[in-house]
Amino acid sequence: MWDREELQELERQVRAWEKTCLEPTLKEKLERRREFQTDIGLEIKRLYTPLDLSKIDFDYSEDLGFPGQFPFTRGIDPTMYRTRPWLIRAYSGFGEPQTCNERYRKLVECGADEIVMAVDLPTQLGYDSDHIMARAEVGKVGVAIDSLHDMELLFHDIPLNRLKRVSMLGNSFAPVALSLFIALGEKQGLKPTDFVVDLQNDVLKEYVARGTYIFPIRPSVRIATDVIGYCARYARHWYPCTLCANHINAAGAGSTKATAFALANGMCYISELLDKGYDIDEVAPLFTMFLDERSDFFVAISNFRAARRVWAKVMRDRLKAKNAKSMSLKITAYSHGGETLLEPINNIVRITLAALAYVLGGAQFLYNASYDEVLGTPTEDAAKIAVRTQQILAHELGITNTIDPLGGSYYVESLTSEIEQQIYDEFQKVEAIGGAVAAIEKGYYVAKINEGAVRRQREFDAGARVAIGVNKYRTESKVPFGAFRIDPAIETRQVERLHKVKKKRCAKIVRETLGYVREVAEGDGNLVPPVLEAVRAYATIGEICGVLREVFGEYQAREYFSPSE
Amino acid sequence: MTRKPRILIGKIGLDGHDVGARVVAKALADAGMEVIYTGLRQTPEQIVSAAIEEGIDVIGISILSGAHMTFFPEIIALLKQHDAEDIPFIAGGIIPAEDIPLLKEMGVREIFPPETLTSDIVRFVKSLVEP
Repeated sequence: MWDREELQELERQVRAWEKTCLEPTLKEKLERRREFQTDIGLEIKRLYTPLDLSKIDFDYSEDLGFPGQFPFTRGIDPTMYRTRPWLIRAYSGFGEPQTCNERYRKLVECGADEIVMAVDLPTQLGYDSDHIMARAEVGKVGVAIDSLHDMELLFHDIPLNRLKRVSMLGNSFAPVALSLFIALGEKQGLKPTDFVVDLQNDVLKEYVARGTYIFPIRPSVRIATDVIGYCARYARHWYPCTLCANHINAAGAGSTKATAFALANGMCYISELLDKGYDIDEVAPLFTMFLDERSDFFVAISNFRAARRVWAKVMRDRLKAKNAKSMSLKITAYSHGGETLLEPINNIVRITLAALAYVLGGAQFLYNASYDEVLGTPTEDAAKIAVRTQQILAHELGITNTIDPLGGSYYVESLTSEIEQQIYDEFQKVEAIGGAVAAIEKGYYVAKINEGAVRRQREFDAGARVAIGVNKYRTESKVPFGAFRIDPAIETRQVERLHKVKKKRCAKIVRETLGYVREVAEGDGNLVPPVLEAVRAYATIGEICGVLREVFGEYQAREYFSPSE
Repeated sequence: MTRKPRILIGKIGLDGHDVGARVVAKALADAGMEVIYTGLRQTPEQIVSAAIEEGIDVIGISILSGAHMTFFPEIIALLKQHDAEDIPFIAGGIIPAEDIPLLKEMGVREIFPPETLTSDIVRFVKSLVEP
């Protein structure tokens, strides 16, 4: 791609510029810092030129290609946002299903394409609202769901086919989450072909970041892959697994390590699926990846481009995928991170810029945090702004008019290549340890996460990690009060509703279906069909997960972290 | 020779976000204290009995789930019940500003919201343990 003589001439010109122009300037005034380091340990140069690209043997056809074609660096689709901007998600949930339903309807009315249900912690951990462990947590951090009945209330007057997608994280109880949507669809007169569900269903990251594990690792992987396998056969247009780099980065790993760990976690699920007899081209298109980078705008863009390239190569070269859909990585992103308690309105700016980076990186599915989330449950106005921000980016500024607008930038292409290498090297390290499960069990992920978390805090303490209004340009200001309160009486009402449902349903069918869940769990069949039967019979999440707890046991966390080391 | 101050850092309730707890635990350990980190999903009973059994000098609880108004008063009551109310109890996490004065009135010695410098936490803990 590069003419040797032209490069030599350019090199001469760069040296001349350094000598005659740059050096005298540096003598007069120093740069702001001696080194411009990023969170991922890359040092950023003063200037990037074609010389940087020639050094890495940059080749347009091989490294970039065209949108919709291998290696998908420029995007997974030949028209990208020119046909349709990314899918606008709204992550929301609090309190009781009926109250939360009102919020959902307002979000849909203002144009959200997808509702991502935030559910409370007892639900995420497979406890009913009347369980001792659910005490004080019902309806906090998300809506309380005990059975299909709560889903009916939550989506009252919101037909699932009116949304472009509907989602629940469902990391440790994915068969239940999936079944709740299938059964709710049935109640609304819809078949799985009529609507689209996506789940996070990435349980491996729960053991190292986020913490909502239930079962030991091995059975958890089986549960996760049962859901993916079920969708591969019966709902091929659904998204049953989102490989999450996001939480691993947020916990401290840094975005390239987090991307590599998410990829390694994906390999674990995929190899289990291949062992179960699925074909790579049958399952690979069902995966998406949840990426983020919160401390560098250009690293964020480059990370998305690099991740697509790594995924494409791993799918083609390692896993011998043939289908382009297996090789093209669909990306989910969440604009958050760096929000401050002080002067929280500034968070709108932070979230907007993160969203812009993710759009320039070519994300398919995007959601924004609400600016007031640091203060507590988001207010309705703040939740609406999170959607509006994306609509403004999609329609007001011409950002979506061409594909991969930063492609070809000397800087972005250099970063993309360096990040691709970092991801690949880290991925190889995990593979050398023995793959994702071994890396978790041996404490490798957690060690990397802790290193990064401690480093970030030290940088913040030293003022090198800037939070405007907090550790730079701080004025006398007080943390405002959160405007939204969860009614403390909801726990009692939710428990009453749960008991009513239990009284009304047919106890015999519940008993039989739970027996069927146990039987399949003890064998090696797919767990989704029996769980779906139980959900249809209004068995509760606590009852179904209770059976699974009895069969699989619970994960006994080994604390890999010893503060004194 | 006096022994190192012994600090318990704990996560209470079902919340699984423990970056803050780990970072604070590490900072206190680096400042020369002996730190015991409980890991996730502890109950008030587990926290208080661990504190008594281990001869803890300061209890630090991290919580982001919003369940603090239930769990914190329980910890304080349990400490009283066990004649251990002299063990200072501090906390951090997502705790709305309007709850802070109420919790302090109940007996939580200090609350450290996000954006706190770890040096401020270390200084405060030292002030609690130094004679």
